[in-house]
Amino acid sequence: MARGVMLMSGGIDSPVALHYLLRQGHEMIGVHMDNRPFTDDSPLEKVADHLTLLRERYHQPIPVYLVPHGTTQVTLMRNTDRHVGCVLCRRFMWRSAERIAEREGASFLATGEALGQVASQTLSNMRSATIAVRLPVVRPLIGFDKQEIEAVAKSIGTYAISTRPGVCCQAVPDKPATRSNLIQILREEERVDVDQIVDDCIRKATIL
Amino acid sequence: MYRKLRLCSNSGAYEAIPDPPIPLDLAAVRRTLERVGIAVVDARVMLLVGTTPEATISRNGRLLFKTRDPAAAEVTFEKLRALLKLPGAAPS
Repeated sequence: MARGVMLMSGGIDSPVALHYLLRQGHEMIGVHMDNRPFTDDSPLEKVADHLTLLRERYHQPIPVYLVPHGTTQVTLMRNTDRHVGCVLCRRFMWRSAERIAEREGASFLATGEALGQVASQTLSNMRSATIAVRLPVVRPLIGFDKQEIEAVAKSIGTYAISTRPGVCCQAVPDKPATRSNLIQILREEERVDVDQIVDDCIRKATIL
Repeated sequence: MYRKLRLCSNSGAYEAIPDPPIPLDLAAVRRTLERVGIAVVDARVMLLVGTTPEATISRNGRLLFKTRDPAAAEVTFEKLRALLKLPGAAPS
């Protein structure tokens, strides 16, 4: 079995995806991209509670890195086209996750994405986002529909945590692009200092 | 005029939405708020405002208050409305 890094948002999908990977026996490390001040404390609290539950269930320590992402969002909002903000945001999340994977000796990245659920989860947007990293990206829920994911979430006890009230991400543009052009994404990204942003995020990351 | 304050879709905050939208000059809004000592982070398309509770102000006049307490949201809404000379909310 392998060691992997899982992006955890506090939503319904990521703990279900993590559950499947843990069930297969993989050794997992969590990464939560902290979007405050564009959200409140609730995503972080939800991730902490998801992990408490899954640690008990699978008898694994599952460390989780808390990576500050709010400053990155401000930089992206100030300097790039809002229309592709979600894809740019995801590219930075993946880069941070990959840096942590390298630090932890992990060989894959994982996410709770399911095809077509939200703007960032169309095939072209997922490709534009994950092309920013070299490690393989595992998506245990890719072909699930929302009802199936919710049913599993309820059965493992994470659903009630995920659906607690919270402030949704204020950085999401009104009309996010659902079909991204990689050349446009790369041009937009040239407006910011990618390495500096990721370096700062990783330097300020803490372990929960 | 603003619609009555309501919980946002994830039920974690109250939002005030103008109908029709009110185009705001965020640079001017920022100056106004900073003049009275309110901290503001300018994210170009929105301002993050250090009131209690924290608020965000969008270019289309939408305000969001990070609290689940309707009274606290209302107080901050009225404070910002007065400072920025925004129209009032629709009666309940």
